[in-house]
Amino acid sequence: MYIPSVNFHRTRSLAEASVLLEFYGSQSRILAGGTDLLVDLKAKRISTDHLISINHIASLKTITEENDALRIGALTTITQLDESQLVRDRFPSIVDATRVMAVRQVRNLATVGGNIASAVPCADLPPILTALNGSVVLWSNKGERIVPLRNFFLGPRRTDIHEAEILSGVIIPNSGRNFGAAYARFGLREGNAIAVAAVAASLTLSANGTINSACITLGAVAPIPKVVEEASNVLCGEKPSDALFAKAADATVAAADPISDVRGSAAYRRELVAVLAQRALSKALQRAEEDAQ
Amino acid sequence: MSEIITFCVNGEHHTKLVEPHDTLVDVLRDGMRLTGTKKGCSVGDCGVCTVLIEGQPVNSCLVLAADVGHQAITTIEGLATNSELTPIQKAFVHEGGVQCGFCTPGMVLSATALLDKNATPTTEEIKDALAGNLCRCTGYSGIIRAVSRCENYKSDGTCVKKNHALPEKQSGQSDYRPSSKDGTSVGVSIPRVDAADKVTGRAIYTDDITLPNMVYGKILGSPIAHGRVKRIDTSKAEALPGVLAVLTGKDVPDTMYGVSPARYDEYILAKDKVRHVGDEVAAVAAIDLRTAEQAVELIDVEYEELPHVLDPYEAAEEGAPLIHERYERNINTRVEQSFGDVEKGFAESYHIREETFTGNHIYQSPLEPHASIASWDHNGTLVLHTSTQVPHYVQYMMAHVLHIPLGKIRVIRPTVGGGFGGKAETTPLDLCAALFSKQLGRPVKMVYSREEMFHHGRGRHKQHMKFKLGVDQDGTIRSFDSEIYLDGGAYSSFGVATAYYAGSVLPTLYRFPNYRYDGFRMMTNKPAAGAMRGHGVPQPRFAFECLLNMVADDLGIDPIEIRRRNAMTPNSLTVNEMDVGSCEFLSTLEAVSDKAKWDDKYNKLPKGKGIGIGCGGFVSGAGYCIYRGQVQLSHEKGRESFQKKSIFPHANAIVKISEDGMAAVLMIGAAEIGQGSDTVLSQMCAESLGIPASRLRIRSEDSDISPLDLGAYSSRVTLMAGHAVSRAGVAVVDKMKPYAAQLLDCDESLIEAHDGKMFVRGEESRSVPWEEVARKYFNDNGPLVGTGAYKPPDGLGGNYKGSTVGTSPAYSFGSAVCEVSVDLETGKVKIDKFTDYHDCGTPINPMAVHGQVEGAVVMGASETILEDVQFDKQGRILNPNLHGYLTMTIKDAPEIFSGLVDSYEPRGPFGAKEIGEGSTLPVLGAVAHAIANATGVWVKDLPITPEKILRAIRGKNTQNIPSASEDFPEKCDHAYQSE
Ligand SMILES: Cc1cc2nc3c(=O)[nH]c(=O)nc-3n(C[C@@H](O)[C@@H](O)[C@H](O)COP(=O)(O)OP(=O)(O)OC[C@H]3O[C@@H](n4cnc5c(N)ncnc54)[C@H](O)[C@@H]3O)c2cc1C
Ligand code: FES
Ligand code: FES
Repeated sequence: MYIPSVNFHRTRSLAEASVLLEFYGSQSRILAGGTDLLVDLKAKRISTDHLISINHIASLKTITEENDALRIGALTTITQLDESQLVRDRFPSIVDATRVMAVRQVRNLATVGGNIASAVPCADLPPILTALNGSVVLWSNKGERIVPLRNFFLGPRRTDIHEAEILSGVIIPNSGRNFGAAYARFGLREGNAIAVAAVAASLTLSANGTINSACITLGAVAPIPKVVEEASNVLCGEKPSDALFAKAADATVAAADPISDVRGSAAYRRELVAVLAQRALSKALQRAEEDAQ
Repeated sequence: MSEIITFCVNGEHHTKLVEPHDTLVDVLRDGMRLTGTKKGCSVGDCGVCTVLIEGQPVNSCLVLAADVGHQAITTIEGLATNSELTPIQKAFVHEGGVQCGFCTPGMVLSATALLDKNATPTTEEIKDALAGNLCRCTGYSGIIRAVSRCENYKSDGTCVKKNHALPEKQSGQSDYRPSSKDGTSVGVSIPRVDAADKVTGRAIYTDDITLPNMVYGKILGSPIAHGRVKRIDTSKAEALPGVLAVLTGKDVPDTMYGVSPARYDEYILAKDKVRHVGDEVAAVAAIDLRTAEQAVELIDVEYEELPHVLDPYEAAEEGAPLIHERYERNINTRVEQSFGDVEKGFAESYHIREETFTGNHIYQSPLEPHASIASWDHNGTLVLHTSTQVPHYVQYMMAHVLHIPLGKIRVIRPTVGGGFGGKAETTPLDLCAALFSKQLGRPVKMVYSREEMFHHGRGRHKQHMKFKLGVDQDGTIRSFDSEIYLDGGAYSSFGVATAYYAGSVLPTLYRFPNYRYDGFRMMTNKPAAGAMRGHGVPQPRFAFECLLNMVADDLGIDPIEIRRRNAMTPNSLTVNEMDVGSCEFLSTLEAVSDKAKWDDKYNKLPKGKGIGIGCGGFVSGAGYCIYRGQVQLSHEKGRESFQKKSIFPHANAIVKISEDGMAAVLMIGAAEIGQGSDTVLSQMCAESLGIPASRLRIRSEDSDISPLDLGAYSSRVTLMAGHAVSRAGVAVVDKMKPYAAQLLDCDESLIEAHDGKMFVRGEESRSVPWEEVARKYFNDNGPLVGTGAYKPPDGLGGNYKGSTVGTSPAYSFGSAVCEVSVDLETGKVKIDKFTDYHDCGTPINPMAVHGQVEGAVVMGASETILEDVQFDKQGRILNPNLHGYLTMTIKDAPEIFSGLVDSYEPRGPFGAKEIGEGSTLPVLGAVAHAIANATGVWVKDLPITPEKILRAIRGKNTQNIPSASEDFPEKCDHAYQSE
């Protein structure tokens, strides 16, 4: 299994990378951790003439707080994200995802930007980052665009990244008070198994204990990390209860569009979505209640 | 555009010319010859390529070399300094963390990175750090022990270890007496003789070898399941620069080959038809592997597609596509065996239960891919380096296909990274490499990719089983009837034997007064199934154990009690005339029941928690050779009628003592494939020589050096090769005795040898150094050499068709209790704990025995709940890789207690019998029972996936779930990496 012949470009700045991307157009690809891209190239799923490595652009490797928002650089590895105290404190739900993603060796290479830009339906970060109302920052020599994740994904392996744009980071806004989120996913094996189904949930409680706002997203059971509006409608304005969560779970199942493959049938995936939606909601609620204290 | 890059590897600078597409693993292995970094999948799934970059473990197959820059890289070669192992390397050596060793460099590096950050990790932290390193051998137990006990190895390199004494109990006679209790080699957990090489990356596997002027080959597989090859156009491939030769069906010999002589039905490359996706069609040799890979894709083959059949029942139907002309109705092997009067037995039964079970397609998936290097000496000798468990059968088959004497073929078996039956036959790699090498006059290396391994197949037969069991009111078995359809795939391989084994070993565990077995090994358009750990028996054993538990529940009898009432007893002839000698089956049952606290738990656990029992056992070596007659080119042999005795010794050894008497070199062709045979054979030989095992070196890798041994299959090595090496040792001591007697001034018959001394029996102080006696012998006679050979006893087996299969000098027995937790909402199973007790006779090396059990438990549990090679309707494999075909990671593996009961097998060397395969057999049934106990429903179709469990809980069928639905290929983009 070899990588077909390519050209390789090491870049030192976003500007340099963007120029190369523009020059080579559709015949080029950004190379970050390579854990998706090199596998795809070896399996001949995709082909490209130019690999443009952004791995040496130090500015993309940081996690910072900006005006209360969390900004995660695109080259942050899953390990860094997983071990970041800032992330653990502010968004433990992200760690729900990083903890179960791949394995150490892959997590040390795989980047946040790559996990999002790949737009693979079963990737673990997109559902939770979308549920956290995150946006991606798209950088090109023409300027920066900020696109909410809920609008970013267009289909399996298709996104709103324009030619010559580089995903430079993710911004997660301040969640406010009484907020909780969680990510629940099902894999067939304890270690190194990708998601068969996943649900992310976030919610905010009002002072009287009813749900103010809620967001549920799907992983691995829809072409994109879909936001289930119907579930939000079920939840908003109501007092949380098992019965309510079960109703929201039903709405979530209805929104899922799973396929059958080696990991499970579509019917089974729907059953999983129902269970995972309730688990994610319960955990999110627990965190919201803790946040309220 | 290539680039010159200076890498910093293990603190040294290496300046290399790198192509943009080169991955780090290839630059390390090919460019720097640092072959301790392995390749097992190339896509991040297995972890054998792990290296540290700036102290962080990464998969070097997923890193572009050009992108590494000046970061510090550590490979396995960079850990030990001046041959002083690091504490974690020592821990792996001493705690049983190493078997085949192919995962070991990656494991050690991952552990090193963890321990650098956290000197005292919890078990959970260890599991998280090592989850990316698959191991197929150890069951991870020894690895967890090594990492968690690393502290112990920090100061002086050893931790305090108990010496395991030999079991006292000796119920029979054996040719060799363990001479004394201390300083003995047998019965002691010495570390593996090859462990230090494996933890340092020094062990050399076939793909690690580069011969001067070597070129590389690659094989093209069929894209369709069944068709006629109409035309092959190789011109584009031949035109590719770097391509040296191309082979197609017309270039290969017309001689068919295979495993069972009655059913040789394979050509090296398809001559007329392809019979499964991946069936070998053409091959290319080129200056490098990359070019060969590209060239293979340029070969243009035109097929006339034929209807295919994937289901064994459909294959038997009138009008089904015929896969081979010679197998009518696609029946490859038909077994009809009946003992006693089955119908009468059922008529007399108090209770009868009939159930249907289905197995799964299991692939051995050893971590090391098959590899082969062929070259020809100028004198016409073929030298074949190959990753095999059966060097002799490879030699026999190469001779058969190439029409040259066996003596003109030298087979070298470098270190082998696991086999489990998947490397028990001659491969197209061996044969194509030999043909190319002959044509080109250059060494040719060929290696399977992970995907090609799955397509070549030879995994476990998927079995469809209809079982009927009749019992008395007290659970005593009256009658058992079985019908099994084995899904054989497109070729015979081991299948004839498999079909017989499926029936023959069941009656060794319980007393069956009446027994019938109807077997059909069917041809289907899938990769050939072959022999895998437990050969033919694990799925029927799973089904039988489940059925017995169901019957026990029906009658309100405890599952352990029903086994007690039917258990095999020592010195019995089974209903199918298998000759059982030692048998401590009952003791294993009692021990496992006590240790697991069965009575406190069975039916007393909360819902979602379950406990289950399974039992099993196996042969200690097949009673007969796979082929008939003597060792000779098959074409020269006349028609041979079968004789109920071995024609030639199945295991043979030579011991040569160094001229100074300080070392012994043991030469035997027994194949070390990770199971530990080099170590236990060294121990037995040293014991019979009377020297410590540390003074012995074993040479088992080269047919030019070592005499014939039939190889590592049917769990034969400990018993058979054990006898050969022990007899060779005794032969040496016998030659030395007159000299010792002279030196000690006593009668020859009073001389004993032990622990590097020769002494007068009963007066140990009257001794001379062993080496002094050896020197005296050499002075007078020249070389001090002893030989030993072993033939299985004559006359094994009954007088019915197929009676030879399942015969063995001895049988092993074991019982296992499994405890699980099941998530009743998702169906997910966590296997928490295994308790296993085995009767393997005398354990020659208890650590090695436990290592086999631990490995078997995890492999068996993994195949019960996770593994299945899945096919689409066109016969294409949907998961020919390690992210689709899931085997247990360290996080999935249960906690394991492995115990041994006292036992002594008179027909075994030092009382020993087998452990490697028998230990797999109890596992599947125990897991299935525990899941049933936790959920209240039986899933009778393997693997017992979460989806099937949920369906069973809902009362739905668990067969034919549309997991590989029609729309899969189109919509596969939804899933990640779901090619
Ligand atoms: C064994 C294994 C197990 C895995 N398990 C999981 C899992 O459990 N969960 C999971 O979610 N994922 C899993 N993955 C996939 C995961 O590693 C990737 O999705 C990873 O996060 C991608 O990041 P990368 O840096 O490696 O991307 P790359 O492979 O470098 O790039 C991926 C794609 O994104 C583009 N890209 C990358 N960065 C940018 C950028 N900054 N701007 C624009 N485009 C960009 C590339 O051009 C490419 O098309 C697994 C992978 C492997 C090999
Ligand atoms: S070879 Fe790199 S992970 Fe398998
Ligand atoms: S020792 Fe781990 S794969 Fe063999």
